[in-house]
Amino acid sequence: MKFRGRLALVGLIVLIMFILHNSFWLWDLDARIPLLFGFMPFAFSFYVGYTVLALIAMKLIVALAWPDPPAEVIELIKEREPSDR
Amino acid sequence: MTSILGVGILLTYVCVLILLGAYGARVGLKTREDYFLAGRGLGSIAIFMALFASNITAFTIIGHAGFAYEVGYGAYGYVIGWSIFITPFTFYLVGYRSWLLGRRYGYATQPQVFGGIFNSKMIALLFLVLLLYYTLPYLVVSVIGGSLAFTTITDGVVPYWLSSIIIISVSLIYTLPAGMRGTVWTDIFQGTIFLVVAVLLLVAVAQALGGFTAITERIMQENPAMLQRGQSPQLAPINWFSFSFINSIAVIVFPQMYTRILAARSSSNLKRVSIYYPLALAAIFGVSTLLGVWGSAAVPGLVGKDADNIVPLLIHQFLSPAWMILGLVVILAVVKSSIDSQLLSVTHLVTDDFLPRLKRLSSQQAVFWGRILLVVFAAVAFYIALVRPAAILSIAAFAFSGFSVMLPVMVGALYWPRANKYGACAALILPAIMLHLWYLNILPAWTTFGFMPVFPSFILAIITLVVVSYLTPAPPPEQREKTFAIFDRVFNDTVNEPVVSTKDKIG
Repeated sequence: MKFRGRLALVGLIVLIMFILHNSFWLWDLDARIPLLFGFMPFAFSFYVGYTVLALIAMKLIVALAWPDPPAEVIELIKEREPSDR
Repeated sequence: MTSILGVGILLTYVCVLILLGAYGARVGLKTREDYFLAGRGLGSIAIFMALFASNITAFTIIGHAGFAYEVGYGAYGYVIGWSIFITPFTFYLVGYRSWLLGRRYGYATQPQVFGGIFNSKMIALLFLVLLLYYTLPYLVVSVIGGSLAFTTITDGVVPYWLSSIIIISVSLIYTLPAGMRGTVWTDIFQGTIFLVVAVLLLVAVAQALGGFTAITERIMQENPAMLQRGQSPQLAPINWFSFSFINSIAVIVFPQMYTRILAARSSSNLKRVSIYYPLALAAIFGVSTLLGVWGSAAVPGLVGKDADNIVPLLIHQFLSPAWMILGLVVILAVVKSSIDSQLLSVTHLVTDDFLPRLKRLSSQQAVFWGRILLVVFAAVAFYIALVRPAAILSIAAFAFSGFSVMLPVMVGALYWPRANKYGACAALILPAIMLHLWYLNILPAWTTFGFMPVFPSFILAIITLVVVSYLTPAPPPEQREKTFAIFDRVFNDTVNEPVVSTKDKIG
């Protein structure tokens, strides 16, 4: 896949995460969903799940659109004069 | 017995910080890059803890718990929910491309990166002025918040002014000799302390209140609104949505965070940090949220600023005095790990981006002046924290919004070759002016259409950047080439010859 396509997928992931964070239509569940582990109400446990999703999303983004730089791009800085550093 | 133990723990803690600072100074080189960027050699754990410890302030333990005390479990999603994802995402969006340019051209600060991209001293100056303008009040507020917390937790035994001196001088002990290396090593130490102790504190408070389930059931019976986000006016959807544009996206603009990204040793280090950062943020704010909400049942009746004392009050009322000592260490660790990085970053900005406009400095002279400026800024922060002028505090109130509305220019500069210095200039100045007009109540509130001022200002920044860039001449091809040829090489997997000769670098 072209990099632009992969970047579009990254944009889609960000959009999904933003919509999930602003999912006001789920707020009705706050009073109805049972406590997670006996002490986490839905308003709290939703973000425990969201954290796991965020971790997966970042792993996906790294895999999709975060290539390591070619060596010469980062190595050339070593050629600068020490007095400039 | 407890006081002897307490003094012993505190002395041990301070001694470890001094030793880390002394050792950092011994192994460090006396160059600008080593002092301010730890030689661009930070590994994954160092960069992770440095970012995390700089990101977490007294607000996490004090202010956020107080907010959760008032609005319930919804405080968790409101304050940190979007940050859990978007903050590490900005490490990729802005951080990685900036890091590439930093490695390639030696850029060390935002004025250098964005002044370099637009080939404009005016853009560099605007970044310098705006970052100092928002960071200094934020630094002072951090000192004030930390000193108040320190005084509260010692029950007034240590007065406010002495708390400020202790916090600032202990920060200087290791920052002054070792620069960023000192702050990063102590961040690893202090970040670990406050993560571990915060979790232990949560378990201890839960046990003292009858267990996790018992305290939660009590809240459900006595105040069920704490479980329902829809019940709190402060969490109204329009506020919830607007808040997504404040603290979460501002983080990468903080100079102390941005500089640490530039100091990463490799791309792999940044990747690891971005993947696992959500866990640390969620953990520390989760603890703070639960303590705040539990406090509303255990110590009811606190209103306004009094609610901010809920964590010290829980420790006072339900735990043994030994916990007070650990609480003190946590407060010190949280507060100092952010203050030291803020102090170093404002010093770095002035040393690297302002002083060279007056006089060319050698690397060694830059370190010398950096140390002098650290002491000067520390003294200024102490003085302002004592006087607490209203003007400074009102700027601090919207400093996060100020940082946020600078993000469109940073993203535009790194992703849109057509963006030019005129568009960037206008998109930095206009939203900053609008923020002041709204926050200082010069413009009527209805002009934000119910949103917090940061949202229309953010949109205004995007529109201004695009419109003014299109209405003015495009950047010269060689200028665009200098930045985007590198990105094309990295992101299109066409690795061949070096893209720009070293002669093109900014001196």
